[in-house]
Formats: sequence, C-alpha cells, structure tokens
Amino acid sequence: MIWSKEETLPRHKLTELQTERLKDTVARVYTNVPFYQKKFEELGITPADITSIDDIVKLPFTKKKDLRDNYPFGLFAVKKDAVVRIHSSSGTTGKPTVVGYTRADLDTWNEVMARVFTMAGVTSEDTSHNAYGYGLFTGGLGLHYGAETVGATVVPSSGGFTSRQLMLMKDFEATVLTSTPSFALHMAEAAIAEGYDIQKDFKLKCGIFGAEPTSLGLKEEVARVWGIHYCEIYGLSEIIGPGVSANCFESSDLHVFEDHFYPEIIDPKTLEVLPLGEKGELVITSLTKQAFPIIRYRTGDITSLDRTPCKCGRTHVRMKSVMGRVDDMLIVNGVNVFPSQVEHVLSNIEGITLNYQIIADKKGYLDKLEIMVEVTENMPLDSIGSLEALKKKIQHELLNNLYINAEIKLVEPRTIERSVGKAVRVIDKRNLS
Amino acid sequence: MNYTIKQLSIFLENKAGELSEFTGVLSKNNISIKSILLADSTDFGLIRTIVDNPEKAKTVLEDEGFSVRFTDVFGVKIEDVVGSFDKAVRALSKAGINILYTYSFYEANTGIFIFSVDKDRFDDAIAALQAQNIEIVQAKHFYM
Repeated sequence: MIWSKEETLPRHKLTELQTERLKDTVARVYTNVPFYQKKFEELGITPADITSIDDIVKLPFTKKKDLRDNYPFGLFAVKKDAVVRIHSSSGTTGKPTVVGYTRADLDTWNEVMARVFTMAGVTSEDTSHNAYGYGLFTGGLGLHYGAETVGATVVPSSGGFTSRQLMLMKDFEATVLTSTPSFALHMAEAAIAEGYDIQKDFKLKCGIFGAEPTSLGLKEEVARVWGIHYCEIYGLSEIIGPGVSANCFESSDLHVFEDHFYPEIIDPKTLEVLPLGEKGELVITSLTKQAFPIIRYRTGDITSLDRTPCKCGRTHVRMKSVMGRVDDMLIVNGVNVFPSQVEHVLSNIEGITLNYQIIADKKGYLDKLEIMVEVTENMPLDSIGSLEALKKKIQHELLNNLYINAEIKLVEPRTIERSVGKAVRVIDKRNLS
Repeated sequence: MNYTIKQLSIFLENKAGELSEFTGVLSKNNISIKSILLADSTDFGLIRTIVDNPEKAKTVLEDEGFSVRFTDVFGVKIEDVVGSFDKAVRALSKAGINILYTYSFYEANTGIFIFSVDKDRFDDAIAALQAQNIEIVQAKHFYM
C-alpha cells in the first residue's frame, strides 16, 4: 500500500517538483532569514542563480552550530504568530537547537508519517502503541500524529514503566509498536520474565523503530522475538523529526521522501558531492518547510543513496541504514550525547580532572554508559561518604543536563591513558555492524 | 607542644595490586608506616595513614600518580583498661565536638587512638581532653 501519489511520481516529474520547490524555498530564506541572505551574498549568489534542482550544489551548507548561533528563532522564516509548535534539543554545551512548525509544516509532518505507517502496513483498523518519549523530543508526537493520520488508534504510552506498557499492549490489543529498537527488545525480555507468552498474549504485527543506529542483528532479533515486520524509520528534528525516510516491505533501505527533503551525499572533508552508491555524509535540504526551512543541512550521519527502481513501486531514492557518524556524537538509548557536553558538565564539578573516558556498552538490550573520572591529585575529600557523594553529584548533573544515566567510576589521577594526539574520550563497545 | 599529626588520605581504586603499589612507594623511599586504616566501598578505597615523614610521603606518592590529602588529626593515649576509651570520647562529646572518625593502634600496653574532628574544633578538643587529664601524643612521637 502507498499513501500518496507523490511517492510514485516518474523521475522527471519528481525533478520538476523538486526544482520548483527548491526555488521557492531559496526565495523565502533569502527574503526572510538574514543568516541565509548573508551566506548567499558571501558566495555571490542570488535566488536567480537557482534554476534547477542541480543548482543546489551552489548553495551554502548549514551546520548544527548555525542553529545554536541563531538561538532561538534566528533561522525562522515566518513571524512568530504563524508558528504553532516548537521542539528543541537538550543542548547543554551552549544553546539548544530550536525548530518550529507552522500549521502547514505539521500537515507535511503528518503526511510523511502517514506514508511511513502505510509503508509498514498500518491502517485504520490497527492500534498503535507509541512508546517513544513525548515532549520536546520529536519522536513521541511525530509517531503519534502519523498513526492518527492513517486513522489508527493511538495509545500515547511514552517511555518507561515497562510492566505497565506490557499490560496496556496486551489489554488494548496493540497491533503496532513504535519505539526505539533497544526498548522493543527490552520490553520483549521483560515480557518473557513476567511470564507472558509473546506470540499468544500480544497481537503485534509490525513495529516502526528508529532514533538510534541499529545493527542488522538487533533488527532481526526484534523482528524474531516479537514475530513482527520491522520497519525502520529515520529522521531528525532539524529536518522535521521522524519521517524523513523509512523502509518498505521490499527493501531494507529507506525511501527518502524527496518531494519534501532533498538528500545529497558529500565527502565530509572536501565537501564535494559524491556519486550515487558512495558512502559519505548525508546532507538534506527541506523543500517545503515554512517555519524552519533548512538549506543543505549536514546531518553528520554516514550513509549512501541508491536510485535503482524498487519493487514496491515508489520512485523515491533509497538510503542505507545509517552506518555511523562523522563527528563523535554518541547515541545512547535514543538520546544524542557529545563528549564535549559531558566535558562541560564535568568542568563544573570540583575535585575531578577533565581526563575522562566514556565507555558505551550494552546491558541486555539497552545501552549502558560508564564514565571514568579521575579525582584530582590534591584530593579534596577524605571520607568514603564524601567520595560517594561526589559520584552521585556527577551522576545527577549528567542526568539533569544531558538526560543520560551513566555509571560513574572514580579513578586515581593519571590512570586514564594519555595519547599523543587526540585524547580517546569514547570507547564504544556496542559493536553495531 | 605540638599535637597536630599530619595524616595522609590516599584514594585507591579497588583493583588487585593497588595497595602493594602504595606500600611499595613508601618502602622504596624509606618511609615508615606508623598507623594505617583502609576503608573501602564497592569500587574504591581510602587509606588513612600516619607515617614518619608525611611531607616526603606526599611528594613521592603524588609523583607516582596517587591522589593524596593531608588531614590534621591528634592521638590520644589510652590505657588497656575498661573505660579509658570511653573517658576520652565522653570528654569530646561533652565539649560538643563531633568525632569524624577514629582508629587505633597499640604500643606495648597502651593504645593510641587517632581522632579526626572538625577543623575549627581541633584546639577545643585538645583542651577538653587535657582538662580530663587524658594524655595526648605529641606529634614528634611519630616523626623521625
């Protein structure tokens, strides 16, 4: 099943549509966003230079830093009264990144999310149990309205409270589960531990999973243990939230809804656009966004694109499941963490050095984070109680500022290995491949 | 008279060989341990020790990457009879002094109890004990 006709537009029609929409977006950001106007002038271009979608390479890139620098509303292209929703990242190193939506943007979001649900085989007869977090994070509301748009019954369960979620999934006869893949596995494990018979007690037929990099093994395990079809979804709040791309029944690669979001792959070092099939950094331009249009946004995600026809009939380009990151960002149980953010939190705590190491690992199916922190040479504390309190304080500050739950291990000064060049701040043992 | 003993507190990780690394540094540098107490939690420990040359000990330990802190403590001579420790504790308690921690060691028939109290009550503690005729060990007792 396919939700809308744009998904099967012949290539040339799609290109025409993209050209028209890009020209419109460029004109709007040039007129309404001083940041882009300045960038265009620096490059010596005007909207008149953009006559086809291929001219996109002339446009400047936008980076996460640009969003922070223009906090909160500097990149908005409409007046505040046209904005009906705001989402935001946690953002502790400096300012958070803020994104806004007009009524039309929310319609676009619902539209692309409806495509995802339809792609996963969800109809108005289904009940969708939504265990993505609600709030400033775009996951919860994105999946919520998508399911409503296709007419499914939504259970807005949000994260946590596993036992209760299992009870609701059983009693309300959920047929669709939407959550991070690691939480889906965690729930399966909890269900077995609580004595549920997964195949008998639950009516799930599919799940829509995303928000964290996921190995093929983990996907297969989620599909197997729940006995469901696994649909992967990709998105980021800077572009719209979840709903930038998703995979159909025919392929494990994800169709990018390129009538709304135009993807390119670049070499993150030279910034050259790479040919189809080559691995590089995904760059996305929004083609229809009103409140917060974004030009050539560098996602930091590494993938490749494939335009060969898909058996499902959709003509939209497919991207491979994200293989990694350009920067050192960690995704821990769906939450983005930069080592620099951890460092910032640590720098405000006395009695420890800024030599630390973050160790990401799996505990069961969930991510587990351990942070080794060196106490200073001139130890300020001389009782176990005060050292334990220091540990708790670090833990609390990280949770409060970054929403991450980390085990803290205090170590002696100079025990964390110094490397000659760049310090090894992160050890990721999760093995995604 | 100087009753201020410089106790060293050293942070240790709970892993095999840590304590021997610590004692090794001291013995290599000819430093004698007069008293030692090891407190531990699940993943780290804390050594409290009195040595004959605290300044040198701090320097050599820090050179080896240990986290070291000085804390002023005092030692009280306690006879090996029922009630003598109680007498010292009571004297402090009566003076409203909070004992942060205490530990003991023995020399022949007398024991010495090391006390740690709030910094600003150190002199009051000495005075309170002396008022009860309790003998306080002079710092030089421990030092070379």
